[in-house]
Formats: sequence, structure tokens, C-alpha cells
Amino acid sequence: MSTLKVINLRPSWTKVGNGLLVLMTLSVFLPFFWLTLGSFKTGAQLNNPRLLLFSPTLENWKEVLSSGVLDSAWRSAIVGLVTVSFSIIIGSMGAYAISRYKTGESATRFGILAAQVLPPAVLVFPFLEVSYQFRLNDTLFAVIISHLSFVLPVVTWFLIGFFDAAPKEVEEQALVDGLSKSQAFRKVVIPQVAPGIGAAAVFGFVLSWNDLFYALILAPGNSATLPVKIASFNTFRGVELGAMCAAILVAVVPVVIVSFFIQKRLVRGISGGAVKY
Amino acid sequence: MRKLSKVAQLVAISTAIAVVLSGCSSSSEETTTDTGSVSGTVRVLMEGVPDTDIVSRLLAEFNAEYPDVKVEIETASYDQMRDKYVASFTAAKPTYDLAILDNPWVGDFAKAGFVKPLDALIAATDGYDYEDFTAPLRAIGESDGQVYGVPFYNYALGLIYRSDLVTTEPATLDDLAATAKSLTTANRAGIAMQPQKGYKAFEEWGNYLFAAGGTLYTDGKVKLTTPEAKTALKTYISMYKSSAPKDSLNWGFDDALRSVSSDKSAMMVSYNWMLPTLNNPEGDSGALAGKFKLATMPGGKQVLGSWHWAIPTNSSASDAAWAFVSWISSKAGEAKRVTAGGAPTRTSVFNDAAVTAKDPAYFETISKILSNAEPLCQGSNCDEMINAVGTELNAAFAGKKSVDDALAAAEKQANKIQAEK
Amino acid sequence: MSFRLRLMLPLWVVFIASVGYPLLYALYLSLTNYKITARYDTKIVWLKQYKATLQDPNFWSSLQVTATFVILAVFIEFWLGLFISLALQKQKRIRNLTRSFLLTPMFVTPIAIGLMFRFLLNQQLGVIPTFLDKFGLSYDFFGPGKAIFSIVLIDVWQWTPFMVLLLLAGLEGLSKSPFEAAKVDGASAFFTFRKITLPMLMPVISVAVLIRSLDAMKVFEYVFAITRGGPAIETVTIQYYTYQTGIQFYKLGLASAMSYVLLIFVMIIVVFLFKRIEANRRNP
Repeated sequence: MSTLKVINLRPSWTKVGNGLLVLMTLSVFLPFFWLTLGSFKTGAQLNNPRLLLFSPTLENWKEVLSSGVLDSAWRSAIVGLVTVSFSIIIGSMGAYAISRYKTGESATRFGILAAQVLPPAVLVFPFLEVSYQFRLNDTLFAVIISHLSFVLPVVTWFLIGFFDAAPKEVEEQALVDGLSKSQAFRKVVIPQVAPGIGAAAVFGFVLSWNDLFYALILAPGNSATLPVKIASFNTFRGVELGAMCAAILVAVVPVVIVSFFIQKRLVRGISGGAVKY
Repeated sequence: MRKLSKVAQLVAISTAIAVVLSGCSSSSEETTTDTGSVSGTVRVLMEGVPDTDIVSRLLAEFNAEYPDVKVEIETASYDQMRDKYVASFTAAKPTYDLAILDNPWVGDFAKAGFVKPLDALIAATDGYDYEDFTAPLRAIGESDGQVYGVPFYNYALGLIYRSDLVTTEPATLDDLAATAKSLTTANRAGIAMQPQKGYKAFEEWGNYLFAAGGTLYTDGKVKLTTPEAKTALKTYISMYKSSAPKDSLNWGFDDALRSVSSDKSAMMVSYNWMLPTLNNPEGDSGALAGKFKLATMPGGKQVLGSWHWAIPTNSSASDAAWAFVSWISSKAGEAKRVTAGGAPTRTSVFNDAAVTAKDPAYFETISKILSNAEPLCQGSNCDEMINAVGTELNAAFAGKKSVDDALAAAEKQANKIQAEK
Repeated sequence: MSFRLRLMLPLWVVFIASVGYPLLYALYLSLTNYKITARYDTKIVWLKQYKATLQDPNFWSSLQVTATFVILAVFIEFWLGLFISLALQKQKRIRNLTRSFLLTPMFVTPIAIGLMFRFLLNQQLGVIPTFLDKFGLSYDFFGPGKAIFSIVLIDVWQWTPFMVLLLLAGLEGLSKSPFEAAKVDGASAFFTFRKITLPMLMPVISVAVLIRSLDAMKVFEYVFAITRGGPAIETVTIQYYTYQTGIQFYKLGLASAMSYVLLIFVMIIVVFLFKRIEANRRNP
């Protein structure tokens, strides 16, 4: 008798969970749905929020695809890839040293936190000055260096955790087997933390891909990255909504497709390597 | 001995001066009207507005007279422009050889030495007739008695309204409030307002201040604790509550424009050159195109905004830049630009029947507007001053501060900011 | 050169170049009266800018706005993210599709998200108020007293996926045995959650919360795209305030001092938290 009562009162957590997922999926889906609709609407149609059935226009897409949005997306991708590659290579080396030998651990951790806390508005000016000195203003190079300032610390932080979680026995075995320390590092440890490195790489890439501030000040013209380009749809006539919707979709769709394939590894990578502090 | 050395000194000094002077003159601008000899590439950054398109289309004509001067126009949104210019001005190698400055920037850029005085160039250019520019516009481009910017186009504000809904243009501020209220229906607001904190709030409210008979500056200082300012602020707030779209406290230009063009508001205070955009049958107004008209604010005085041509101190093509500026801003150049749809700055243009024939009423209104307009800020630290006043105004609009407190705080801060070096 | 030095050297070099140099330059600027429009009149004024910062009511206001924002946003993102990841873990069908879809918001550049929500939440032109209107509800998203919460909402929409990612990974990495034991013992879901899941997940949680909080402190794009700091100064965050001061008003020396004051505050908090986590780690 009492068991029956308990079963009736207790909700099925799976059902609640699934309900939550449906709700969340909807809340993510609706804005993107609006974006898609908006990209096919004219200015006048966009001003009417109730408009669901309308004759679509391709003007926005034509404008966006010929406006250099794709070029700027390509530039963003280059900046992201270069920044992340550097960060991973240098960061993993340093993270390994900190994890295994504790070399300069507190100083590095402090530096990482400081880098994350100081507002870009203040850090951008030194970068600007230096880029003038080296005649690198309005180039992707300047943007990459500034992106390193916030991607490298975060990536290093994550990687320290991954190396901490990788059991030492495997390296020690390798050393016993006759490999040198650097060989052990490259041939044994790195493959172990590979999923974690992948995860950190994706994070770093997203951070760089999304940055508006540094790119706006350091490469505002011909080397504009994607966020800068999207921000420039805010014209004197107001925001060119239709074109902006299309531009956002151009920015999002490739990333979503890639993330679909990566997220499997991502989740496994993080858990395997432990985001353990 | 002393006598000789004194003479020797004099000789030495005069020689030195002569050398320096000759050195100076050889590096000074060639103000020659021998058009063929000026050459160079002039890079300029402009906003993506209609007047910019018009200027680009006129480049071919310009090159007919100056075949060796190449003008490269880069466009950007307003938000990005100023910082790009500042970056170019402070660089060793400039990105831009010619600049257009918005009126709040002129004072700061002149004092910072970013742009050079143009008096000598103007004087040396025959037939330029600098006095032909309307007085308020000339004043904006000047700083400490020297000319740093010559007018490009004006964006004075005015009242844009639906001619099918409004029969008599409001003559006083109270009329405006009454008209707005009477036009307010369940589906349409009487007037779309732009109370967004900062620049927008101040830019719009300034017009209300003038309509109430007030001024911004008295004896060179900002004075807002006046009865006119109080009336203006109280009227604005009551209009916001009764006749503006609901929950539009953070609205800026974009939101208001969309509201008006989609028949959700009947009027707005906006830039006078927005009229053609709203009346454009192929634009976003759809069926409403052609139904919009422009009026001066009640009382006839409005907020003036303008863009000016200026030559950066570190420009790498000053001569070529001035060649272009003097051509496009000359009487003939402006006539061409305004005929193509640009916003006027010269008095002679209003009297030029060939130009005004297209829409005499519009030009008459503009002429009235320009003769009695005032910018929001004169002097230094304008960006900061406008933001401070706009923030206090917005606090009053939101009901967070009383009208008296807001005006007093705005006045105090504005004067403090402008007194800073 | 020893192995460990060879490992650390590139990191230090790049770190000093890309992080150390700007930090030190900013420190130098904070001790001067540097103004972009008066570059050649720069003088060292020692602690004058710091004094001005500490006496500036707008500075304290921006700190408070930022603190409110960070605490609210991260709190919501954490709990929401936790429940979502628990649900995702239990999900049986179309797992990968759901997961990658739910992660998408964090891949869109924040300025675009800001502009998008500006129009979604616009009273006249936005879909959401129109929808609420159907239920007779009317809410002024960016009105006085409400704007900051709307900004929190936008941040939650964009960054909960980040939490989900980390927490889900943490969950999937937990060993199964304690859970199986609990099931055998007949523990309720609630009990399992409180006594087993949460404690085991602690290391992951602390990293996730730390990183998200540091990031949330830098919120700028949403404010820039929608409210510009309004109504009045209700949404002026510290990042927006330093941007205004240093870049819009040219007072880079003052902005640098503000940043360093902020850095000191945050360091104090972080060091304090570190010590507590450290203590927890030693005595779990």
C-alpha cells in the first residue's frame, strides 16, 4: 500500500529531464528560426513580428555573400587556427612542465588569472603601439598576437589539469624502456592526453572566433574578421537586419556542423583528461 | 671685436632664418591652381550614408579636372569611424590622408594636433568663398580662431511627420505635445522617441530645449538650470509617457525609424536628410512612401550636426587632399552634390534655382533650419560631455531622478568635463 | 639546457610578449595622465589616477553592476547547466544531435547575439513581446530596474552550453561504482544527487565556475549592442566603463588605473577561493 503511494508521488526524473531538454531545444531553436526567416525578409517585412508567411527575397543573401562576409569568416578561421596551434604547442609543453615538475607554477597561474581579468580596453593600446612600430597595423598578425594573450592562458590552464590526470606510470615505464624524457613526452604522454588537447583546442578556437574587441581596434579595415564584419551591419540607416541575419547564419552554420562531429570527442576528451583542478 | 661679432651674429641669424624659411616653404602645401601638377593618392574613410555614395559618383568629374589625383574612399559604420581615425592620426604611417570629422570631434582633434589648420589653404584658393558656408557650420569647424574643418554636409534635425495624419505643423512645444497625444491610437504611437542614454537622448532633447526657447550655453558655459530647460524636460517626459511607443526607453535611431516606417508611429524628430529615405518607394516604408514631410521644430531652432573635411597632420598627400576638398566643397562642387541629393551647407545653393527646383519647399525648410541651428557641444571633451548630459537626461526620463536634480547634475558635470584639459 | 627549462621557455617567452608586456605597459600608463589626444603632454602622476578611481561613484557603480551580473548569470548557468547535463546523460535517443544543437549558442559571436536579442525583445518589432502579449503579459525588457536582468538572460542563453559541456564531461568521467552501490542500497535520486554526484563533481564545478565567472566579468558586447549602459547607468559594466573612459573619452591613463584596481580586487577574491579549495582538497 505505502509503496504505491510513493510511486505516485515521485515524478519520473527521466520524464522531467526530457521535458527540460525539449524546452531548452526550443529556446535555442526559436531565435535561430527567427534568424532564418529574417534573412529572407525585406526591411518592411522585418518590422512586422507576426509575419510568418511571406514572399521571400534573396536580396539579403546576395548582399551578404558578395559583401566579404565569407572572406572575413575565412580570416577569422585563419586567426583562430594559428592562435590555437601556437597555444596548444607552447601551452602543452609548459603545462607538462608545470604538472610534472611544478616549475614556476604559482607565477604562471597568477599570470594566467591576471591575463583573464584585465579588460581588453586597456591591453589593446600597447598592442596597437607595437603593431605600428613593426608596421603591422591592420594585419592579421597583430590580431593573432593579441588573441594569444587570452587563448594561451586558458589553454595552458586546461592542459595542466589534463596532464595532472594522466597517470605517471606510463611515462615512467617508457623511461625505463630506454626513451629519453623528450621522447617520452612526445611519443607517450601526448597521445594519452590527445582528447584533452582536442577539447582545449576547440575552446581556444571559439574564444578567438568570437572576439570583437581586439579585432575591431587592431585590424578594422581590410583584414576585418567576422565579428567586426557583423558589427559593421549597424549602419547609419540602423541595423541592416535582414543582411545581418544572413551574415550570422553564414557564421554559425559551419561552426555547428564542425561541432557536431567534434562534440563527441569533446565530451570524452574533457572527462578523460579531467577538468580536475 | 664685439661690434663685429654682433654683425656676424646678425648675419648668422638672418642666414639661419632664411634657410629655415626656405626649408619651410619648400615643404609647405602647393596651393597652386595649376591643376595638372597636383598628384597623389588620397585615402579617406567615410560613413556609409547617401552623401558618401554621391561623392563617389562625382569622382569621375573630379578626375577630369585633376587627372593625377586618385581618391580612395573606404566606408565604415559610425561607431567604428572615430577610433579608426584616431589610430591613423597616432600612427607613424597614416592610413588616411584626408578625414571627415563629426562636429563633436573637431575641438579635441584640433587641440590634439591631429588635423592641420586650413586658413592658409583657404586664402590661397581663388573663388573658394569660405564665408558662403552658413555661419553655424563655419563656427563648428573652427577652433581657437583657426579653421580646421570645412563643411561637408549637415545633418540638422527636424520634425518628420505623416502628412496624411498631421494637418497643421505644430507651432509651439505644447502644440507638438498635443498633436502627438491626439495621434496616439491603440495601434500607433503619436511620436517615436529616442531616449537612449547618452548621445541619442541629448541629441533629441536638445531640440525640445530649443523649442521651449532655451539655450545650451550662456556666457561660454553650459547652463541647464533654466526654466526653459525645466519645461522642455517636463514636456519630454510627459510625451514619452503618453505618446511614445510603450517601453521604448532604450530606443535609438534605428528603432524609431523602423517604428515610423512600419506605421507604428506617426512622427519622429530626426535628421533632415532621412526624408528622402522614408519617401523612397523602393525603401522600407512600403505603402507609406511619399507620405512623409519635414518641418522645423516648433520655434524654428534645432540641433545641428555636421561633418567636415579636414586634413590630418600626418597626411601623406596634403596637396592632393586639398585639391579634392576645395573641388568638392566649392560652390560648383556643392551644387553638383546637392543636385544629386546631398545635404547643403552653402548659402548660395539655397539661392540657386537650378538646384532647388526639384523640391523648393524642402530647400526652404532646410534654409530656415540651417540659419537657426546650434550644435550640442562646443569646445573640448565633447564626446564625454554629451555622454554625461545624455546619461542624466535618461535618468530623468526613466523617473530615477527628479527633473531639477537631473538638470543640475548635467550642468555641473558638463562644465567640469569641458574645463578639463 | 635542462629538459624542463626547454619545455617552459617558449611559454614564458610568448607569455611575456603577449601578456606580460601589455600588463606592464598598462601599469605604466596607470601612473601617468596619458590621454590619447594629448600624447606629448604625458607626465607621471603616480597614484593620482588610482585616487580618482577610488573616489569615482560611477566606478563603484560599475563594479556593483558587474558583480550582480556575474553572480546571477553564473548561478543560473550553473544550475540550469547541471540539470541539462544530467538530462543529457540519461538521454537515450538522438543524443549527439541534441548535444551539438544545444551547444550552438556559444559559437556565435556575442555582438551578433546582442543585436539579435535587441530586436527579439523590442516591444514593437520583437517576436517575444508579441508572444507575451497573447497571454496579456507586458514586460519592459530594457526598462529601469529590468535591463540588467535582461542582459543576464541573454548571457544565460549564450553561455549555459559552456557549463553543459564541462559538467557533462565531468559527469561522464565519474566512475560508476558509487552509483551502482547506491542503487543497490535503494537510495532516492535526490539523495544520490546530493551525496554522491555533487561532491564527486566538485573539482569540475570549481573550474567551470571560475572560468565562466572570469569571462562573465568582461561582458561588453550585449551592453554595447542594446543599452549602451542605460537606463542611466544601470547596465554600465566595468568593461564598458573602461572602454568609455579609455577609448571613447581618450583617458587611457585613468582607464588603466581602473583596470588595475579591478585586478587587485579580483586577485584578492581568487586567492581567497584558491586557499579554500586547496583546503578542501586536502581534507575532503
